[in-house]
Amino acid sequence: MRHQLRFTGVGGQGVLLAGEILAAAKIKQGGYGVKAATYTSQVRGGPTKVDIILDDEEILYPYANEGEIEFMLSTAQVSYNQFKDGVKDGGVIVIEPNLVTPTQEDLDRWEMYGIPIISIAKEEVGNVVTQSVVALGVTVEMTGVLPNDLVFETMISKVPPKFVDLNKKAYELGVKYAKEAKEKGALKSVAEVEAMKAKDVCETIK
Amino acid sequence: MAREVISTGNELAAQAAIDAGCRFFGGYPITPSSEVAHAMSVLLPRVGGKFIQMEDEIGGIAVALGASMSGVKSMTNTSGPGMSLKAEQIGLGFMTETPLVITNVMRGGPSTGLPTRVQQGDVMMSRYPTHGDYKSITFCPGSLEECYTEVVRAFNVSEELMTIVIVLLDETLGHMHGKAILPDLEEVQKSIVNRAKPDPSIPKEEFKPFDVPEDKPAIIPPMFQGYRFHLTGLHHGPTGFPTEDAEICQRLIERLHRKIEVRRKDLLESNEEYLLDDAEWLIIAYGSVSRAAREAINRLRERGIKIGMFRPITLWPSPQEKLEELAQRFPAERILMPELNMGQYIDEVERIMKKRPVALNKANGRPISPAEIIAKLEEMGIQ
Repeated sequence: MRHQLRFTGVGGQGVLLAGEILAAAKIKQGGYGVKAATYTSQVRGGPTKVDIILDDEEILYPYANEGEIEFMLSTAQVSYNQFKDGVKDGGVIVIEPNLVTPTQEDLDRWEMYGIPIISIAKEEVGNVVTQSVVALGVTVEMTGVLPNDLVFETMISKVPPKFVDLNKKAYELGVKYAKEAKEKGALKSVAEVEAMKAKDVCETIK
Repeated sequence: MAREVISTGNELAAQAAIDAGCRFFGGYPITPSSEVAHAMSVLLPRVGGKFIQMEDEIGGIAVALGASMSGVKSMTNTSGPGMSLKAEQIGLGFMTETPLVITNVMRGGPSTGLPTRVQQGDVMMSRYPTHGDYKSITFCPGSLEECYTEVVRAFNVSEELMTIVIVLLDETLGHMHGKAILPDLEEVQKSIVNRAKPDPSIPKEEFKPFDVPEDKPAIIPPMFQGYRFHLTGLHHGPTGFPTEDAEICQRLIERLHRKIEVRRKDLLESNEEYLLDDAEWLIIAYGSVSRAAREAINRLRERGIKIGMFRPITLWPSPQEKLEELAQRFPAERILMPELNMGQYIDEVERIMKKRPVALNKANGRPISPAEIIAKLEEMGIQ
């Protein structure tokens, strides 16, 4: 069974790490995992995508096939716009609602959830760098592509010992928010997305 | 025991260099190849090697050549723009018969092009990376494993034939992160080839490094060991000192060609054939594009279509006889050649096959996908 996932953001947000952890966890399980990133020559701010392919069989083409992606997570409007069409109809898209606003057409086409990943990392975990691990928790809970424990252990093995607690918190918050989002149900209207936006957005994402 | 690792093509190229005995790296960082240099800067000091980041690309290859001349297995690494800058020094390496491995992680070009994106634009440049007349060697990996094994092979071949060997990676392979099964380290170490040493029965003061048979590489001892010889980019005679003697000059250039040509079949040629036995359709692809081609083939096979792939791993010298043989089996309109350039290797394939395959070209920094290959084949008549 092949799973094709995509993380999109802007350069500097650190979305690569989450992809590496997912690939490593799948490999640990005895399968194959590949992470292939596309980025721009801008050091920061350029649209970035990370494709993650998980399979029990060998993975040849390392990128997701456009139109076959089952899950996308996006933390920047520019990359959301550029890469969303790779997601198959009815696929799941998680957006950071402070940074991405989908169109009504998008909301009708895909199963979309808003999770304020960056504000969770910054305000609840206390370190914006952990957004990648929050995203990881969100992804695993939303997709079920890999067992939660396996991904968690893999993540812990890859972070410096001094930051284990912080990342544990980030991961657990990601899982929690994803659960809540699922219980609440997918977003239906742009107004719902607008209502999720924090009032002091600029302050939040800094 | 085989080693399972999770890594990238660039990091595996560096690991391979270390395992192959490389103990010197000179270079300058350039996207998308910098991770090779970065990994070397971590790995080399651990094994007593030296890493120098030089002031520019030219300095990078110059010190790497110098280290090799003093007997140390040496490497430099770059991407297209760096190859342009290194061109003159590459010529010095060919002429002085100095072993050196260059990894070129291809990005979009020409000029600074598309720094972070993939292309296969340096295929012809690898054949003639500098002015003058010579034969060059280029290996082109198609998997993470081969980023390792082809770099090991490049070191062995460069030592055996006393020449520069280019390993052509591309952005996709260099940055692709996943599982790779590497060969057993002891097996790798057992396969290591070291450059020939002077015959000890010849007195050091009488030894002539370029006094070798017409199809053999020079035997160049490390400097500062009492041998008296000269290394120059000028045409040179048996001791390496410059000469303009008509016969010696002709013989030198002929030998630079022959030492490679005579080893083309037994040492250099390396290809992969994928599902070719019963194939009625043929894809010729190399490097990262071959991965998309293989996935396309797997999908088409599920539809019952008999299609296979021929993948040259050694691009230069090119697989003459094999392509001639395939030309007998497949009509031009049943051969597809996807390349991430506007058609470079296809010219060489056409020269050998005496027919031109159908081309699928892309040069905008984006990979060719399996779906695009299938669509092209459907256009060609696959049902």
